[in-house]
Amino acid sequence: MARRRGNGFCGSTEHLVNRRAFLGGTALATAGLASDMTSLDVLRTPALANQLRRRGKRVILLWLAGGASQLETWDPKPNRPTGGPFGAISTNLEGVRISELLPKMAQRLEHTAIIRSLNTKDGSHGSAARMMHLGRRDEPNVTYPDLGAVCARELGQADSKVPDYVSFYTATEGRGNALGQSGFLGARYMPMFLTTNTKPENLSRLETISDLDHRERMDLRALISQRFAAGRDSNTLDSHNEAYARVRGLMASEELFDVSGEPQWIRDRYGPSLFGRQALVARRLVEAGTPFVKVSRAWWDSHGQNFETHLELVSELDHVMSTLLDDLKSRGMLEDTLVITLAEFGRTPNINPSLGRDHFARAWSASLTGCGVKGGTVYGETDADGQHVKDGEIGAGELFATIYQALGIDHQHEYFVGARPLPLTNPGIEPVSEVLA
Amino acid sequence: MSDPAKLKVVKQVDRPDILFSIARLPESTQLYVGSSDQRVYSFDAFDEKSKPQAFVGHRSYVSGLVLTDSGQLVSGGYDGRLIWWNRESRDQVRSLTAHQKWIRRVDVTPDGRTVVTVADDMVCRLWDAESGKLLRELRGHKPQTPHHFPSMLFCTGISSDGKLLATADKVGHIVVWEISSGKKLKELDAPKMYTWDPKQRIHSIGGIRSLAFSADSRLLAVGGIGQIGNIDHLGALARLEVFDWQKGERTHEFPGDKFKGLFERLIFHPQGKWLLGAGGDHNGFIKFIDLDSKKVIRQEKAPMHIHDLVVDENYNRIYAAGHGKVVVWEMDG
Repeated sequence: MARRRGNGFCGSTEHLVNRRAFLGGTALATAGLASDMTSLDVLRTPALANQLRRRGKRVILLWLAGGASQLETWDPKPNRPTGGPFGAISTNLEGVRISELLPKMAQRLEHTAIIRSLNTKDGSHGSAARMMHLGRRDEPNVTYPDLGAVCARELGQADSKVPDYVSFYTATEGRGNALGQSGFLGARYMPMFLTTNTKPENLSRLETISDLDHRERMDLRALISQRFAAGRDSNTLDSHNEAYARVRGLMASEELFDVSGEPQWIRDRYGPSLFGRQALVARRLVEAGTPFVKVSRAWWDSHGQNFETHLELVSELDHVMSTLLDDLKSRGMLEDTLVITLAEFGRTPNINPSLGRDHFARAWSASLTGCGVKGGTVYGETDADGQHVKDGEIGAGELFATIYQALGIDHQHEYFVGARPLPLTNPGIEPVSEVLA
Repeated sequence: MSDPAKLKVVKQVDRPDILFSIARLPESTQLYVGSSDQRVYSFDAFDEKSKPQAFVGHRSYVSGLVLTDSGQLVSGGYDGRLIWWNRESRDQVRSLTAHQKWIRRVDVTPDGRTVVTVADDMVCRLWDAESGKLLRELRGHKPQTPHHFPSMLFCTGISSDGKLLATADKVGHIVVWEISSGKKLKELDAPKMYTWDPKQRIHSIGGIRSLAFSADSRLLAVGGIGQIGNIDHLGALARLEVFDWQKGERTHEFPGDKFKGLFERLIFHPQGKWLLGAGGDHNGFIKFIDLDSKKVIRQEKAPMHIHDLVVDENYNRIYAAGHGKVVVWEMDG
């Protein structure tokens, strides 16, 4: 497992406050003083200030697998040959118009930053999806952690009783492109990956095993593992043991996945779709402390009948996303929860003879809402037909740096794999300050 | 005459836009096409010097065009508007919001006196072609699919005696109406035209896109696309079913053998020589079927995905509009 700078590696002052010690030792003090953080002397230590800022930050990623069309969502081009038949509607932001398929979101953009200038240069589902999960590409000898794993590592608590990283992907198409990857952070930060419904399978204790039996089995496993590990220096073993250490906590979190615990009116608000139910579970999870939940909605790959497909899927997205934002806001969670819409790419401005749109990575859109975001912002601009980025071009790295900064995570923060320092984003990458609060 | 064996392209006009609808001035080669650029264009298909004249007024794709008994041109669009035009001046005679959602098809009764529209608000409306007055509303299609998505009311068919109207939607539901009373006469279903993918992609595609009554009004032809494995594409063969609608029996089923995509338009020969269908996916096709023998007489690749077509008075010449082209075929050798 990789080590962060600060775990006794390079002697920086950041080492003085490691994450576990901070969460344990300073928790009481910080809880009491958090209402006036500027008065804390400890904030003069950058590492501690960052850790404080990160506390309670959460992410819900709405992964629009297959590639949602920017023209039918965040960057419409009405009355242009490429614009398609949908119109653009006014929003609650002066001068900002989005697709008419998003009428509910159009009235809720005060917490949202729309980014219209992604150029990620990769129009292949598999490799583009990998890149948009990692914010960069793996190297031959380095496997990077994805956004969820980084957030689990940076925002999670070591002794948490809820999972750090939950990923829903129910459709089968494209699922292989969206698998979790913890990379050099180790298996401890792999997601709980749910594919069949909203509840994890095999999380309950078997009825044939008593709670005492279960505890004793855990203890026995830990004892054997401890003896095996003695004298061995193995990242795999460390990761394995950390994962097992969390089993009982995760088992206790099973009820979070059961939306029947929610009042009927809240379930009704999210609607009957699977996407809606999973978004509701995502809200329950982040409310309970899970730092990262990915809800994948597949499959947007509309090479034929793009407009019918987007009428279905964008209408659903509009309802589910607006409900989720309302719910988070009403619970006072939106300022600490970052809701992202993202895909592997967008769709071609040109409309093909099947009335479809094809893969397009040259000029497409994403959205960031809530935590750390300067709401009511539109960043970047494409040309009149949406063929090229005209202003504010960014790639995956800049987007990820922005996401990390919004969450209070230093995007240049370095991990060490062996002796090699690896920053969270590639060197030279900068966040988009215009969309940060 | 009208011999599909002699089918040949006699004219092709390239266009920069997508053409969703076409109408033809009787006894002429003067065409009107509805475009993705929100305009209607008129031009003579065989006059090289005929520069297309634009009719400006819609705010989205122009999906339907008909000529009325009095010679007015009526267009409908995805903007929900129905516009009556003076063909000569290209001025709007009347413009009204006919539907709250996309108008998918504009039709006219054989006497040219009643204009029929269907739209994604799932309502069929009948309009007085002369005054523009709303005559009747027909409601018989569910607004949502069984999977809670918005449904779509794609097409109409009107019998040659002007007494019957059929409407069909995305999930394959068909309603036959008596035009004079608005009475619902029959409901039919062609569920194979609708593909719901519950596992791989979790959305839907397809729907019935074309309807036509036989000359004796006994048969109703229903066109669309078959069950699709990969719904990213129009990846199934174009599908045609024919019903003896009064009996509620499916008399013919053509699952397709060559061309993929949607049957966008169907036209019966008045003497029953053939049933003409056309449509496409990335490519286009045109197909003639003999319902007596239940065989395909002829099928050819078209130069483009065809969205609409009309035939001349002798059923010899076919004028088709589609993706970036207008094409004219002849069948008289």
